Amino acid sequence: MTVQDSTTTAATATAATRRRGALLEAKRAVVSYGERCVLDGASIGIAPGLITGIVGPNGSGKTTLLRALAGLIRLDNGSVCLDGRSLGDVRSKTRARRIAYMPQSSADHTFTAMELVLMGRYPHLGRFRLEGRSDMAITEAAMRRTGTLQFAGRRMQTLSGGERQRVSLARALAQDADVLLLDEPTTSLDMQHQLLTMATAREEAKGGAAVAMVMHDLSLAAQHCDVLYLLDAGRVVASGGPWEVVTEANLRKVFSVDVAVEPETISGRPSVSLIGVSNGTPGASKSEAVRVHVICGAGSGRDLMHRLRLAGHTVTSCVLGDGDADRETALRLGIPHVASPPFSTVTLEQDTAHRRLVREADVVVVCEMAVGPGNLRNLEAAAEARRLLLIERPDGSVWDFSNGAATKVYAELHHRGQTVSRDAVQSAVETVS
Amino acid sequence: MLRSSVRKHSGSLAASPVIRRLFSGAAVIGLLLIIASLIALSTGPVAITPTDTLSALFEWAGFGDSSASRTQQAVIENIRIPRLLLALGAGAGLGVAGATMQGLFRNPLADPGIIGVSAGGALGAVIAISTGFATTSALFLPAFAFVGAAGATALVFAVGIMAGGRSSMASLLLAGVAISSFLGAITSAVILLTSDLQAQRQMLFWLAGSLEGARWESVRIVLPITLAGLAVVVAFARDLNLLLIGEDEARSLGVRVGAVRALLLAAGALLTGTAVAFIGTVAFVGLIVPHSIRLVIGPDHRALLPLSALGGGLFLLIADTLARNLAEPIEIRVGIITALFGAPFFLFLLIKNRSRADSL
Repeated sequence: MTVQDSTTTAATATAATRRRGALLEAKRAVVSYGERCVLDGASIGIAPGLITGIVGPNGSGKTTLLRALAGLIRLDNGSVCLDGRSLGDVRSKTRARRIAYMPQSSADHTFTAMELVLMGRYPHLGRFRLEGRSDMAITEAAMRRTGTLQFAGRRMQTLSGGERQRVSLARALAQDADVLLLDEPTTSLDMQHQLLTMATAREEAKGGAAVAMVMHDLSLAAQHCDVLYLLDAGRVVASGGPWEVVTEANLRKVFSVDVAVEPETISGRPSVSLIGVSNGTPGASKSEAVRVHVICGAGSGRDLMHRLRLAGHTVTSCVLGDGDADRETALRLGIPHVASPPFSTVTLEQDTAHRRLVREADVVVVCEMAVGPGNLRNLEAAAEARRLLLIERPDGSVWDFSNGAATKVYAELHHRGQTVSRDAVQSAVETVS
Repeated sequence: MLRSSVRKHSGSLAASPVIRRLFSGAAVIGLLLIIASLIALSTGPVAITPTDTLSALFEWAGFGDSSASRTQQAVIENIRIPRLLLALGAGAGLGVAGATMQGLFRNPLADPGIIGVSAGGALGAVIAISTGFATTSALFLPAFAFVGAAGATALVFAVGIMAGGRSSMASLLLAGVAISSFLGAITSAVILLTSDLQAQRQMLFWLAGSLEGARWESVRIVLPITLAGLAVVVAFARDLNLLLIGEDEARSLGVRVGAVRALLLAAGALLTGTAVAFIGTVAFVGLIVPHSIRLVIGPDHRALLPLSALGGGLFLLIADTLARNLAEPIEIRVGIITALFGAPFFLFLLIKNRSRADSL
């Protein structure tokens, strides 16, 4: 299976970290702001040639850890070492030539984009030395790589958030350091520039730099980072390759959410889909939760089951054959349904089980699926609903492959139930309570 | 990666836009300074033609005989040249201190007086006059004013650090505003409680600022201190640039933020304190000069600081020349002139450059 293949790759990546050794390393770092302990003994190693991602919920200490690695804050305990030497013993100018840091956002000022990027060269110049041709060339190259050269002469305060972020990255690149520390480098970027930023980070890593970034988006982090560190309440709770860190169990523990982690269609890296919040959904209080039964098939009920589950309702489904897209979703979301072999006709036994689910539901929703002899019983069972909602096809027709039997059942159901559009289902369901 | 083997190559000066801006700015202000100086030296109760002024200057410098009369020569050498140099020195100090404070506090409204220097200096001067020390020696008044300025600055620092820790510039700024008001109240009380009308008048005069007391002794103190302060601040111009873009950025680019801030604040306090001690409280120089220059050449402190020194000197010289001559034989206080002409000029710049003036 793909998951296992990728786990092997991840293990190789971690082994690579160990083999290359960390260039910049924090050991049991403790940082408190007043009473609040922000980092509670976090350890992390940043190795050359790799992109290391730092992920975790808001307030878990990601930015503080990155700033500690950059030597910007004093630790209450623990140490940060560059090449095995304590960062506190490294002269600040020497440190600036080795470690570049890009903050999440920056102050408002009237320097032009090019002036700002040129400042990345300061650590390489004597106190009274002006920037020379080589500094200009390096600045220009950095701006070209981040796609910011076209607004080199514009003042920073006239640029958009995303543009500023890219100029800021160019400044960090112009610093020409061995370690590149980036705090959420892609948050205000559009897709195209997210990709450009990540590609630039990858080039830096390939050139031998140790790159570390705080990432907000888990799927993006999993897709682009070689090694991940998952933080929670100032501690590292998991580290390793993407498949080792981005797991359903880890995310449930740290974020209190139910998620599905599956290989992303193209890269095969872990991709996270949110199913619901573990300890009740804040949006819907328990009293408003409704028991909804969805009659569907061949993928017609997927988004409905997902949406209703996210809203905090209890969802059940009909008889679903193995391999059916709706059955896959029901399985992943943990939705009770009646299982049957692929493409089989619903048996009497299955029908009895199904009708029990229909009777227990507050509302039954019938999707606009194709009906043939195999699943006709799913449709017939809807007649036992306490309250019935029918989703219509746009042209009002029935997708009938049962020689008119389905059309006849539909006509009967129309008398008992209410016709709604797909988008109105959720609000119709919620009017029950 | 941008691994550069060419890092060691020295850059050509002409390639740097900063140097171009600095030189063209200095040329313009320098030319205006020469014209303003000639006018300043030629005008006053004893009228002297510009030709005689030039020739008097040459004689003073040791070249040839002056075409000016003995009286004219004496007026230029003993009254007008010291007054000119004091205006240039104090104006330069206030201009540079203003540019430094605005950069440090990252606040366009920061003024050299914001860290309590002016209020402390005023209180010191008022005490010197009310206790009678000011009449015993001419240097007692500036000495008291300087001690007051330094004391108030130290107090603001102490409170700012207690309130916000070493890194909080906001608490330092607020402490400065509060302590300035507090000291201002004490100064007002001292003035109102002084029964000697002559002394009271002297106090109010001092508060409005003036270069009337300019002597060679004051020039010999003000100029070296101002030049030293300017040298320190200019040496840290690049660090100021980095502090302006952000504290984390500055630190990650190798600036020792705490030490640099303390040094620059001390230099700013020294520059302001020296000026305040000799010319009293003169408002607006530290605010409008750096802002005007910033609007023309941009925020780079490597050009901004030296040009603010030149511009501050020019501005104070023009203001003083106007103060001396507008209502002759009465001399208007220079502080009134700087505020009267400075404020509208500043408002004009604000409106004209409304997109750029609201930040640094």
